[in-house]
Amino acid sequence: MDIKEYIQSGIIEQYVLGLANPEEVAELELLRNEYPELSEAISNFERIFEKTVRANQLQPPSFIKASLEKQLFGDDHSGAIVIENAFAAELLRKSRPGVWKYLAAACIVLLVVSTALNFYFYSGYKNSQEQYEALLTERNTLQANNASYQQGLKMFQDSAMKRIEMKGTPGNEQNVATVLWNQNSKQVYIYASSMVQIPTGKQYQLWAIVDGKPVDAGLITDCIGLCKMNRIDHAEAFAITLENAGGSSTPTLTEMYVFGKI
Amino acid sequence: MPETLSYTESELVALLKQRTQTAFSYLYDNYSGALYSVVLSILQDKELANDVLQEVFVKVWRQIDQYDPGKGRLFTWLVNISRNASIDTLRSKSYNAQKQIRELTETVYMAAGSINTETDKIGLRKIVNLLKEDHKVLIELAYFQGYTQDEISKLLNIPLGTVKTRLRSALLQLKDFLKK
Repeated sequence: MDIKEYIQSGIIEQYVLGLANPEEVAELELLRNEYPELSEAISNFERIFEKTVRANQLQPPSFIKASLEKQLFGDDHSGAIVIENAFAAELLRKSRPGVWKYLAAACIVLLVVSTALNFYFYSGYKNSQEQYEALLTERNTLQANNASYQQGLKMFQDSAMKRIEMKGTPGNEQNVATVLWNQNSKQVYIYASSMVQIPTGKQYQLWAIVDGKPVDAGLITDCIGLCKMNRIDHAEAFAITLENAGGSSTPTLTEMYVFGKI
Repeated sequence: MPETLSYTESELVALLKQRTQTAFSYLYDNYSGALYSVVLSILQDKELANDVLQEVFVKVWRQIDQYDPGKGRLFTWLVNISRNASIDTLRSKSYNAQKQIRELTETVYMAAGSINTETDKIGLRKIVNLLKEDHKVLIELAYFQGYTQDEISKLLNIPLGTVKTRLRSALLQLKDFLKK
């Protein structure tokens, strides 16, 4: 690198005036570590530039300095504060001591009242906050349920769905449940919200009757609206029995609650 | 003017870092005139220049720790901050909205006397005006309006390499004028 040529190329002027692009700046800053004469040339141009700018300077309006000092150092009225303090000291000296006693008492009363109010408002605020959170949770649950129900309703209207009504067996007439069976995907869903409440430790289980034999179609959990069950390829009927929680491999036929033929 | 300075740059920087009001006052008294001429020569509007000059001093006050004496003089740093702040204002939306209003008012006053000829005499523009026309255009676009070399090449429809060499020769020409 011919450093003399580089120095005279105009790059220095570009750099000092802020007109060099990032690559040019990087190159120059690297080179100046190596060539002290480069740094010297930069410094020379900076001085020439400074001299010219200073020779052409213009006085800004005087309010600018005041406004800056106010902004950076706060109100520049330190003198006024001293006077105010002197004034207050004079007042203090002249006034009777009794007045200050009353003023101090009044201050304490005000402080107590203000503290009490703070507690009062804070507990009010906490109550509202708790109620708001409870409402928010409730709203979210309702919204989620609503979405599930809406999706369920759509499935009821789906033409690919086969609907099988399961009626209550003798002695269990108050029970009713509906199987939805997608004929394309073979996926089975169940709507079992109208079944009677079950004792703890028990669980309803859905069975598909295939070639006269029961096939497990899944356990009914407390899902919202439609419950997704197992896939069943073909079946003649569906039934629900009450089993111990966790389900069984074969149905307890005495505990059959509903049954529906296809 | 420089001979009236009683602090060297490095003394002043050290004082500024201590954040004393005296240091600020000294900085303002000794640099505001120069920086104001830079700001005004770019913005060519006194109201705006007043605002930007204040912005510049606040910025300098807050960022003095970022000044690196290894990269250049304090004066250069201050001028570059002033130029960047002015160009940012020039590019801002509010400036362009105000400009339209100003141009309208100026046309009204144009009959009474020219306003534009005055701005050519502000600070650095006075020297730049000594350059020949194609050099002047480049300095105007690059220095006073803040366009990059790439943007200038597209704007004037000349190759980037030409912009680069022409800008450098304009700057060398300018340096000769500054030396005088």
